[in-house]
Amino acid sequence: MNTKQCDYVAGCTGQFNSNSGQEVAQLETDGESRRSFLTKMIAAGAATAVAGFPYIRARAAEPTPIKFGLLEDRSGNFSIFGINKWHGTQLAIKEINDGWTLEGGVQGPGGPGVFAKVAPKPPTANIKEVVDRGGDETAEDTVWNEEDEYLIKSGEKGVLGRPIELIAPDPQSDNTQFQALSRRLILDEKVDVIMAGFASAEREAIRPIMNQNKMLYFYNNQYEGGVADKYTFCTGAIPEQQIVPVMQYMIKNFGPKIYTLAADYNFGQLSAAWTRAMAPILNAEVIHEEFIPLSVSQFSSSISRIQEAKPDWLMMYITGQNHSNYYPQADAAGIKIPMGSSINIAQGYEHRRFDPPALARFHVTASYMEEIPTPRNRKFVERWRKMFPDEPYMAMEGHSAYVATHLYAKAVRLAGTTDKETVIKALESGIGVEAPSGWVFMDPATHHLSQYIRLASCDEKHNITFVTEWPYIEPWWTRRLGVNLVRHPESKQYIPDDDPFFKMFKKKEQS
Amino acid sequence: MSLGYVISLLYQYVDNVAFLLLAALGLMLILGVVNVINLAHGELIMMGAYITTLAYNRAHIPLALCMVLSILGVGLFGMLLERLVIRRFYDDKLGALVATWGIGLILSQGTLLVFGPSMQAVSLPSWTFSYGGYSFGGYRLLLFVIAIVVAVIAWWTFYYTRLGVRTRATMQNADMARALGVDTRRIYLLTFGAGSALAGLTGALYAPTTTIVPLMGNQFVDVAFITVVIGGGTNPIVGALTSAALLSLIATPLSSTLGTFIGRIGLLIAALIVIRFLPRGISGYFQDIRYRHMARVRS
Amino acid sequence: MARWYTGLWRIFNGPQELGRGRLFWCLFMLVVLGLLTYPAVGSVFALSNLANFCLYVPLGLGLALLWGYNGVLSFGQSAFFAIAGYLYGIIAGNLLEMPGGTLLAAAGGIAASMAIAAAFGYFVFYGQVSNWIIPLLLLVLSLILETFMAQTAGYQWRVGDVLLGGYNGMTNVPSLEIGSLSFGGASIAFYYLVIAVMLITYLGLRLLVNSHYGYVVAGIRDDVERTRMLGYNVARIQIQVFVVAAALAGLSGILYVSWGNYINPSSMGLLAATLPVIWTAVGGRSSLLAVLLSTVTLRSLADTLAVRGGEYAFLIMGILLLVTMLFFPAGIVVTLAVRLSSWKTAHGELKQNRAR
Repeated sequence: MNTKQCDYVAGCTGQFNSNSGQEVAQLETDGESRRSFLTKMIAAGAATAVAGFPYIRARAAEPTPIKFGLLEDRSGNFSIFGINKWHGTQLAIKEINDGWTLEGGVQGPGGPGVFAKVAPKPPTANIKEVVDRGGDETAEDTVWNEEDEYLIKSGEKGVLGRPIELIAPDPQSDNTQFQALSRRLILDEKVDVIMAGFASAEREAIRPIMNQNKMLYFYNNQYEGGVADKYTFCTGAIPEQQIVPVMQYMIKNFGPKIYTLAADYNFGQLSAAWTRAMAPILNAEVIHEEFIPLSVSQFSSSISRIQEAKPDWLMMYITGQNHSNYYPQADAAGIKIPMGSSINIAQGYEHRRFDPPALARFHVTASYMEEIPTPRNRKFVERWRKMFPDEPYMAMEGHSAYVATHLYAKAVRLAGTTDKETVIKALESGIGVEAPSGWVFMDPATHHLSQYIRLASCDEKHNITFVTEWPYIEPWWTRRLGVNLVRHPESKQYIPDDDPFFKMFKKKEQS
Repeated sequence: MSLGYVISLLYQYVDNVAFLLLAALGLMLILGVVNVINLAHGELIMMGAYITTLAYNRAHIPLALCMVLSILGVGLFGMLLERLVIRRFYDDKLGALVATWGIGLILSQGTLLVFGPSMQAVSLPSWTFSYGGYSFGGYRLLLFVIAIVVAVIAWWTFYYTRLGVRTRATMQNADMARALGVDTRRIYLLTFGAGSALAGLTGALYAPTTTIVPLMGNQFVDVAFITVVIGGGTNPIVGALTSAALLSLIATPLSSTLGTFIGRIGLLIAALIVIRFLPRGISGYFQDIRYRHMARVRS
Repeated sequence: MARWYTGLWRIFNGPQELGRGRLFWCLFMLVVLGLLTYPAVGSVFALSNLANFCLYVPLGLGLALLWGYNGVLSFGQSAFFAIAGYLYGIIAGNLLEMPGGTLLAAAGGIAASMAIAAAFGYFVFYGQVSNWIIPLLLLVLSLILETFMAQTAGYQWRVGDVLLGGYNGMTNVPSLEIGSLSFGGASIAFYYLVIAVMLITYLGLRLLVNSHYGYVVAGIRDDVERTRMLGYNVARIQIQVFVVAAALAGLSGILYVSWGNYINPSSMGLLAATLPVIWTAVGGRSSLLAVLLSTVTLRSLADTLAVRGGEYAFLIMGILLLVTMLFFPAGIVVTLAVRLSSWKTAHGELKQNRAR
């Protein structure tokens, strides 16, 4: 049992568990002592504290590590997403401890972009003339060269001379465990930062605990948007970055009649609310919305309703293992309607899990996908797969976790300390990094990351092509609601119903 | 209300019946004969799906043969379970419930540890046909046909074979049957094996339509429980058939018009109502009628 | 000894529960003393953790009473746990300004659980359904409630000022408060509250099962027809016990939301529904003390596994459950206690024989 514990706690000596293991065994073998079990537990607890002393003293010789708490599900319903994010964090920590960091810093929004590099000297030719003559704008001394390396030397091993120690217990996709483990990480391990949660439910279970204890918390997942919390930083994509672009594309290319199929819980309902509100503004109409309970896995009735309604395209907000059964079933029933989404494929890699052509005509606006063809992403994929050769797919959220870890390291270097208030100020300084997907920028007012959004289209053979992109989308929605966490710190999640704009623009009457 | 719409409704009804029947028949059989609630039923279905998927993807065996492998594999596993565990719980329904729940937990978690959180699925044979603006998947009709065939085979075995007579005797009065020379232990073993084999068949049949994850059994057990509670353990075959037919009749129009959520709630409320008036389920009610009729005839 | 003292002693040491006699009570007092003085040595985190384990004890004891002493298996205890939690959240969230609002909310939550239990019990016990139908129906009921609560995400799902929150759950639920004393999750006050509730519940139930009423309840478990023929209104007593178990589950629910300030539909889900059954089965449903010990132990085991080997957590629970049902059908603690006492008796007799 000792060696297994050291898998996730880098640098542990194995002394952690010896006593509690004994206690459990004792309960079963010693009949009489079960009465004084609790007294024994107290004694054992004290003994462990005392026994731990040499461990602490031994560590005092080396620089104290920065304690990095990670709570991602490695078992239970969300394990396929959690393991991916765990791997992303591990890769980032290894790079940081080996002396690498992402290019970037306090530069404000709009970085150089994936296809740019600052010219070594001022251009000697007039670009317009070059292009007018039919020349190639990627000549050496112009600003249009590909930048394929995003990782640069940080100049030190670790951060501020201290290695990062990853403490990652498994919350088992259970909200209660999230709470208990958060408390443990904050009060017992006294970590410097916590990155946690896949589902919004998991995030909302622990956000109050983070707030109460003034713990710096990163939520690295795409979600329904709206979190405005002084201590929380979100690096995943949000509706204004995903839903609005995909709707624009689908309406332009396929038509205005939308049928929404959504999972019947917060993410599905709030995303459907966004679609409903945005549709009249984009000259479209949601002809029907259907909410499916998370436990349903047979879709015959939904399929026949869709056929009856004859929409131009489907807006898919279905999540979870049961719901992905929709794709093969719809394909077997002969449905050929195009689909748009903000979540499937990029997060759950359905195009790899189901045989073609179940996901044909599927479009998703992703902040990251493994198939992105830029040279810097190819390097990223290579590095990832070298460390994790058995990874089934590099999903969107693994990338978010990776970027968040590097962003945190950069902020700590900028702050010069791991004191949480100072690091928060550093994160609010206008900091950004060159992520594998592109330049991303942490918005000071909303604590959300801007994203480089690409629209992926999946064809009959399940090949992904990126048909259009939005290099820089800001998290503008909570700003519109007046959120400015630098001026007015708060702690809540806004929902579309808080926003009067959503009801303002009704469907225009056909004239 | 076009003809296409009616056909679509009929298709959904038939699809629901097949799902309920296949999910519940194995459970019902075990409950009726062995008097044990098998909470590991969902995991046995999952096992059937995994065997089919693994055989098809790794060994490239033709699909039908994979399904036969599932039936045999899960059936044998069921018999092993019966031998090792269920044997001790013949008289202890609640104990059997808890023990089989433990087995289910071990199976699903073990599968997660060995095979990981998800697996590449088997592709669904795409036989589609369309009518009146709707298109339908042919595979699901095939499932309905198979479900009916299985029910007919079970019914025939129950009423027209020696094994069936012995099984019915064991169901009615185990002590008496033993006194008359029926090997009740073997009957229980075979029945549990048959019930498990049916679970394996369900898993195999639905494997192409669903994601292959360790917890996939859960989607079957909710409805299986309701079907079983309404059907009653007195006569497994009749109970399963009538219960599936009745519940689909309620669920199909509800989910078609008001959405899947209302359909689900409707099923559950129907279960509560039926159980209030027919505490031993539909088949128990039929048995009561028969006995009353027999008593009247005799007197 | 004074009359009342003898009577009390006899009831507390009645045959319906394990652990009798002077030695047991001395050890019991020692453990209680240890618990009460633990805050002097334990860290804030250790206290909060132990309180987290112990707040589930009323839930476990309620199921022990219902299943071990009355013979009715219930998969719905977690549903009552969550109903009380949600209702407490709704009422307390709306009565934020009112002093004593949280106490009212606690009463309201427990009352709601009891009311729903009474309705369900009336439905089921007067209908005289078979024993195995009750756990299935309760499981199904839990699942309905979970599905229903999971889809209450939108803004329209609110009661007064409080959003139900859907699958995300209800956040910022206020902790219990008496005057200026707040029973928050990391406070010493909460720790003492939980210990007090645990002890009062245990001793109270111990009194109950050894009283005349308790004997009738056990009689129903042993033979329903016989008890009915002896003139007791079996259905009514079963409903009463069911309601008491639901009230205890609700009590745990209220302590839980006071500890975590959060509740969500997964507290009514499939795994949550079976955890109390696992605790009761592994400890030994026929003894309150066994269930108390097994609840605390298994909760701390789950916590340890989460920290040190999460992937194996459910697997170990499943194996534990199966092994218990196969080899220790009466429960691990109970079996050990019985063996110990029979060893003691045999040893005592041997001594006596040798002395002769």
